[in-house]
Order: sequence, then C-alpha cells, then structure tokens
Amino acid sequence: MSPYAGTNFLEFFLVLFSRIKLFLSGQPVELATDEIQILVLAGVAASSALVGTFLILKRMTMLANSLSHTILVGIVIAYIITFQNFHSIDITTMLVASVVMGILTAFLTEFLTKTARLQEDASTGLVFTSLFALGIILVTLLTRNAHIGTEVVMGNVDALHRDDCLLVYAILLLNLFLFLLFFKEYKITSFDPALARSLGISTLFFNYLLMVQVSATCIGAFRAVGVLMVLALITGPPLIARFYTHNLKTLLLLATTIGILASLIGVALSRHLLSLYGIALTTGGIVVCVISFIFILSLTTKLRSRI
Amino acid sequence: MIALSPFLYFVDPILRGPTVGCMLMCCAAALIGVIVFLRKQSLLAESLSHASYPGVIVGVSVAGAFYFNEQQEGIVTLFILLGAFVSAFIGLWAIHFLEHRLKIRPDAALCFILSTFFGIGLTLASHVQFEYPLFYRQVQGYLFGQAATMTDFHIAIYAILTFIVITTILFLYKELQVISFDREWAKTIGLNTRYVDIICFVLIVLAIVIGIRSVGVVLMSAMLIAPASAARQFSNKLYIIFPLAAFFGLISGYYGNYLSFEGSLPTGPMIVMVASAICIFALFFAPERGLLLRLLRIAKFRYRCLCENLLKEIWRHGPDKTITFDQIIQYQAVSSFYIRWVLAQLVHNGWLEEPASNTYKLTHDGQLWAAKIVRLHRLWEVYLADYIGVGVERVHRNAEEMEHIITPEIEEELTLLLKDPKRDPHHQPIPPKEDL
Repeated sequence: MSPYAGTNFLEFFLVLFSRIKLFLSGQPVELATDEIQILVLAGVAASSALVGTFLILKRMTMLANSLSHTILVGIVIAYIITFQNFHSIDITTMLVASVVMGILTAFLTEFLTKTARLQEDASTGLVFTSLFALGIILVTLLTRNAHIGTEVVMGNVDALHRDDCLLVYAILLLNLFLFLLFFKEYKITSFDPALARSLGISTLFFNYLLMVQVSATCIGAFRAVGVLMVLALITGPPLIARFYTHNLKTLLLLATTIGILASLIGVALSRHLLSLYGIALTTGGIVVCVISFIFILSLTTKLRSRI
Repeated sequence: MIALSPFLYFVDPILRGPTVGCMLMCCAAALIGVIVFLRKQSLLAESLSHASYPGVIVGVSVAGAFYFNEQQEGIVTLFILLGAFVSAFIGLWAIHFLEHRLKIRPDAALCFILSTFFGIGLTLASHVQFEYPLFYRQVQGYLFGQAATMTDFHIAIYAILTFIVITTILFLYKELQVISFDREWAKTIGLNTRYVDIICFVLIVLAIVIGIRSVGVVLMSAMLIAPASAARQFSNKLYIIFPLAAFFGLISGYYGNYLSFEGSLPTGPMIVMVASAICIFALFFAPERGLLLRLLRIAKFRYRCLCENLLKEIWRHGPDKTITFDQIIQYQAVSSFYIRWVLAQLVHNGWLEEPASNTYKLTHDGQLWAAKIVRLHRLWEVYLADYIGVGVERVHRNAEEMEHIITPEIEEELTLLLKDPKRDPHHQPIPPKEDL
C-alpha cells in the first residue's frame, strides 16, 4: 500500500516532506512507487533540459525529433542482442545502442542531403519515419504484440522499477560530466561557430557529441515518458527559461529547475486526480501538460509586461 | 494467412474497404506532398500530423458524450475527422504565433508544438481508455494506422475528401506552380500569395486528416515526403511530378495494406516502408538525378580526362616519339596501376601503339586527339590572358580543366574571337585547326 494513496495535491507534498525528513533522520524508508516516479521523471527532465538548451541554441531540435523516433530501432536491437525483456535493463547495451543510433541518424540524414542531394527537410523526414516504421515492425514481429509499440511511444510510469533510476541517473551524470568538461566548447560552438573554427574547436565533433547525448537522454526516457513526449521535456523548459534570462548559465539552471518542478507537480497532480476524481491519467502526459501550462503562463505575463 | 490474388483485394466486401481506403489516402497525401516538398515544409507536416492527435481523442470523447456507440462508426469517424482538422489548425496557428510573435526559431517552435500537442493527446487518450474503453481500441488505431476495419462508408468519406484535394489542385495548378518556383514574381504579377498560401495550408491539413486513419499520426509525414521525393527524382516538370507522385502513393497504399494484411502487421509502418523503399530506389537509380548514375557519369568523365591527359603527356615529348612508361607517369597524380590499365585501353582502342613492352607511341588518330586537346588548352590560355586579363603565370591551371570541357562550338567561337592565334601566352605554338 502506497503511503500516498488517497492524498490530494497538498497532502501529497506534506507526505513527501515528512518522508524525506524521516529519511534524513536516518530511519529506513522503502521507496514508494510515486517516489520512484518522481526520481525518474526528475532525472529525465534534468537531462533533457540541459541537452535541450544547447539544442535550441544550436538550432538542432529537429534532429532531436529524428533521434527520438529512430532510437526505437536502437532499443529493439539492444533487446535482440541481450535477449532480455523490456523490464530488465542492461545499461551498457542501452548506452551503446543509443550512441550507435545517434551517429547513424545524423550520418544518414547528412548522406541523403549531401550525397544523394535530397533537400534537407525531406531527408530528415524520410530517415526518421522510415527507421521508426522499421522499429515498429520489428517490435510487432518480435513480440507479436502491438501494445509494446504503443507503450514505447506513450511510456508507462507505473511500470517503472528501481533499476530505472540507475539508468536515468547514469545518463544524467554523463550529461553533467560532459557539459562541465566541455562547457566552454559548447558555448563557443553554439554562439559563434566562426570563432570556434579559428580557435581550432571542431563544431562538427561537438554536434555529433550532442547528438549522442540526446539519444542517450531519449533512451533513458522512453520507459517513463515514451520516445515522443521526451521532446516536450527537451524543448519546453529551455523555451520557458528563455522568457526570463539570456545568460547561458542561468538559462541552464532555470531550465533544469523548471523541468524538475514540472515532473514533481506532474506526479502530484496525477495522484490528486486519481484520489479525488478517480481518473487515472498517464503521468508522463500530465508532465507535458504542466510544461505547456507553465509556458502559457510565462507567455501571458511576458506579453502583459510588454504592454 | 491465405495468399489472395491481387484482384480479390478490390472485390471482396471485407478487403476492398481497407485496400481502396489506403490507396485513396496515399494518393491524396502524395499529391499534397508535392506541394509540401516544393515549399520545403516537410517538417511542418510532421508537426501538424502530431498536432492532430488530441483532436482525434476529443472527437471520440464528444461522440461518446453524445451517446453514440461504436456501432455507429460512420458518425464517430466524422467527429474524429472534424476534431483532427480543428486541432491541426490550432497547431498551425500556434506554430505561426511562436515563430512570428515570439521570434522563436522555426525548428524549436515546430518541435515544441509537436511534442506538447502529442503529449496532451496522450493524456486525453488515457482518459478515454478509462471512460470509453470500446472507443479506445479505435483511437489507438490512429497512432500507427489501422486499415483493417474500414468499410464502404469510409471509402465514401475518403473518396469525397480526396476528390476535393484533386480538384483544388487542378483549379489552382497555375498559381501553385508560380508560387512554388518564384514567389517574388508571383507577387509582381498581382497574384494573391496570401490567399494561395492559406489554401495550401488547408490542403496540407486535409491530407493529414485523410491519411491518419491508414498511416497513423506518428508516421503521416512520411506519406507526404516519400512519394514526392521519389517523383522529383524522375522529372523537373510539375505536370509529370504530380501524377507520378500520385502513382507512387497508390502503389505504396496497395502494397502496404497487402503486406500488413498478409503478415498481420500494423498498416501504417508497412505503407511507410513501401513508400520509402520506392523513394530510396529512386534516389539511387533514377536516370539523370539518381546517385548511382551520377557517380557513373562522374567516373566516366574522370576516365576521359585521364585518357586525354596521358595522350597529351606523350604528345608533349614529340608527336612521333616513343616514350617509356616511367616517363609517362612522372607527372601524373593517379596510381600507376590504374594508368597502366588506361594505357592498355588506349592501345586497344587504337589511340596508342606499343612497339615494345612498356613503351608507347601515338597512332595517327592519337596524334590528332592529343593535338586537339593541346589546341583547346592553349586557345583558352590566350583567351584568359587577352580577354579576361588573368596574369600569364596563372592561366595554366584553369586551362588544364577547361581543355576537357570546351565543346567544338565554343572552340569555333574562340577561334573567331581571338582571330585564330598562332602562339599561346607562353609562346608555344598552337596546333592549327586545319591539321586536325
């Protein structure tokens, strides 16, 4: 029995705080499902916001859209290789699959544009739709069950397990590490590619590295929010944060905070709706709704202040 | 599954619904796809198809709220189509607002609208799952496309919509052509571009709404992109691209449905796989623009250049001299194996003779060809030096490329223009035309 059962929005946070207090005072606390959800979603949101900020600055979000579709093939192949079901996760295989798919997608798109001379928007669209279709067909053939296809797209927060936290936080750590290590390089390649070139920093290399980070983030997110809704976590928080600041460091911090906050509110709201109205909604979707709500809220305040 | 004859797919009362339905949808999508392709808006189509998903769900919920049941599928379908249409339009407006009012870059705006609308749609879907479980199965079909349950009624709806798309394109053909290729000119001749743009957007949304039943919201954009890209490979002319794209659309619709039925696989991905297979085939093998033939043409040109360079090299030592292989390769950048092979080809074709092994001598034909190349080279040098005013020491490199390209007509003109010069800027004699 979850300690959160039957709580409304405010009570949820009260219970959460009391349990955190309990945990800090050194008493053994078993992780409840809602807490696992919060941990995973917050981890995913933080990774996505960090990666998303640079994607938006580099005008590469459509490549993230491609990746979120093509990652499905990577997931299926990782699944074939390990011969495990979707519920146990081998972190290394997943990460390798994400790296391979990230590079492959970027490479194929570039190949179609440069070598086969297809216009850029069409080649982007062609690559990810074909690979996604392939992924869905593979999933259906392998499992003889179309529902897994839907689950990969929609995500299922309720099926999350403690091991999921490991994957998500491994990816978050990786992202944090890379951004701390290459902060200067990322900053320069985003804002002034010409300067980067004259300083001998390869924009291409950092674009590919970012692609790999995006695909790792997507693969970490697919069990919780699905491969498509992670895009809202990637684009939403940085876009909101840009209403308030133009400083890169503040932007990163603010975007991450908004992402984490949205996932916290999302889980609480989901619990609130379930206990008060008996409506079970997908938590990932609610997080996306919260993000769009925050976006609209910031938008109206911004527009009003302009008048 | 039983393998059925293709003909049966059009007659059988259960099978003909999905088959004809898919073909109509793909045809309409492919036609609109050409417009989308030419306007470079493929990614907008991707966003709009995702943005139509919440509308599908709202349509179902409204139908459910009016106590329609899943037996009255026709009416429910109408609700769904209307909902999808409206929500795709809201998505379009939102993208426009983000881009123009908030100055958010197009890629970020598209991506944000795509994912938030889809997320909202999925949230609503989980509500429908709870409230109207029977509708939920139907709604899930709109994610990846589900053709199997289409009936004659659906065919009627989709046929009408497809008809609207085709007639609009026929009526606006000229305007579309002008606007797609030269927007500025269209404005100057007094065409109302805004008006045509709006019609284009309506058509795009309409094609998406028609298509999501058989291909699904997630993959819909592929059906707009793939047939148009494939058709573009085969022609430059709009009046050929349109029917060709429609034809590719029909094929992918038929075979996608066929394969999905035979293998009991989801319809949308199968249709998309067929369409992308056609497109990839076209990208590689189309005449003129296909990658393979383009590479072949390039290789052929390089081969000819090398032939001409080798003949020229031998000629440089003296037209009648016999020279060794080592002397030939002295100034060539290509691998010696390849040169040996090319020389063998030249001997075989009668441009060169090989008096002893590893030594070569020009035949009469070979002398003529080499002299012609040298003439072109030196003529061009004269032209560059006298007419363009390029420094004499810099004319050689450019002439080295141009000698392979200049046609007999250009040579004629150059001879006339330069008054048939006898010497090039380096005071080397130019082989006279009469000797060739």
